[in-house]
Amino acid sequence: MPVTRVLYPLYQLGNPQLRIFRPNWFLTLVRPGKEQPPDTVQFRTPMEMTKCDIKNYLVNIYNVPVGAVRTRIQFGSNKKRNHRNQKIKQPDYKVAYVQLAQGQTFSFPDVFPEKDKTPEEGSMEEMEQKFMEDEKQRQKLDPRRGGVTEWFGL
Amino acid sequence: MTLRKGNRHFCILICQPHLYRETSPLAALSWCSPVSAVSQCRALHTTVSRRGLDEFFDLPENWGENNVKSGAPWTAKQLRTKSNEDLHKLWYVLLKEKNMLLSLEQESRRQRLQMPSPERLKKVSRSMFRLETVVKERETALRLLQTGQEKGRPGAWRRNIFGYAYWYRYKEYAIPWYMNKRYKRKRFFTPKFVQPHIRLRLEKHLRGKARDASLQRGSRSKLKEKFPQMKVSAS
Repeated sequence: MPVTRVLYPLYQLGNPQLRIFRPNWFLTLVRPGKEQPPDTVQFRTPMEMTKCDIKNYLVNIYNVPVGAVRTRIQFGSNKKRNHRNQKIKQPDYKVAYVQLAQGQTFSFPDVFPEKDKTPEEGSMEEMEQKFMEDEKQRQKLDPRRGGVTEWFGL
Repeated sequence: MTLRKGNRHFCILICQPHLYRETSPLAALSWCSPVSAVSQCRALHTTVSRRGLDEFFDLPENWGENNVKSGAPWTAKQLRTKSNEDLHKLWYVLLKEKNMLLSLEQESRRQRLQMPSPERLKKVSRSMFRLETVVKERETALRLLQTGQEKGRPGAWRRNIFGYAYWYRYKEYAIPWYMNKRYKRKRFFTPKFVQPHIRLRLEKHLRGKARDASLQRGSRSKLKEKFPQMKVSAS
């Protein structure tokens, strides 16, 4: 359900500063594909945002001290084809490389660490796990057969 | 939307409500209206949360979980009870939450793992949409009271070359319309040679309507034949 397209007023020299309430732009922090310097953070931004927009966004909403912002537009491929041989377009997106000021560094954290998944006593997950283990045990053949399948009679 | 450099500022009240994000933004907004002892002065809002770039990620306890619990999305009815300041703050809370979820989704795609509870994105988007509608309602009401105009953006009913009348919304230009070559090429009237096409279109539409009506009549008469006691629905 998208928000309808907003038309911003035309800017001419001498106009007052445009203030935006409730910006409808979302930044995605991504892990850099290539090795980046320690103070550089990589974002995927909407195509309409400029370097100044990104700087103001991060400074005002996230209180992040931003030094420099560099942007580029990544072309989404139009080469793949679907089962009807029609070309499928991958959407284009803008990538922003933000360098933090005041000597701050940022490293992309590991958001999917290996967690020890032992369910607590008396819980639903524990009962489910026990049930699944029992089922798997029933499906296994007699160990005395020595790995021979049921196809061989007797 | 290519405006000049440096002419967009974001107006946010400097209140970030939580030190740590214990409750998700989809819970009830009980913390957002502080009770002040002195009734004359406004409550002071100070920036409490200074996590910076950590706000693009979930709380560290939720990393690696399969399901992250979250509440129901905001409904328009609930949002209409909130004040303008509350809605303004809530917009930014939802914005940050959506940024966090988008970052998580992208990272899960990169690591080729499933994103925990992807329904949160939908909930947040719907909440933001409803917030926008509530704010628009309030703006239209205020505009009606102050100026008598219902719409913020001026427009007019115009007829395009195909014979259709539509609501043309005005756009802001730096030059007047008689100097705008591209605008002058656009014709807001129906030329004479289009009239036969309009007539054919009208005939097609009427034929279609007549066909639907006869189909309905035929099916109803067949049903009446089979089931004579059937009550005919009023339509």
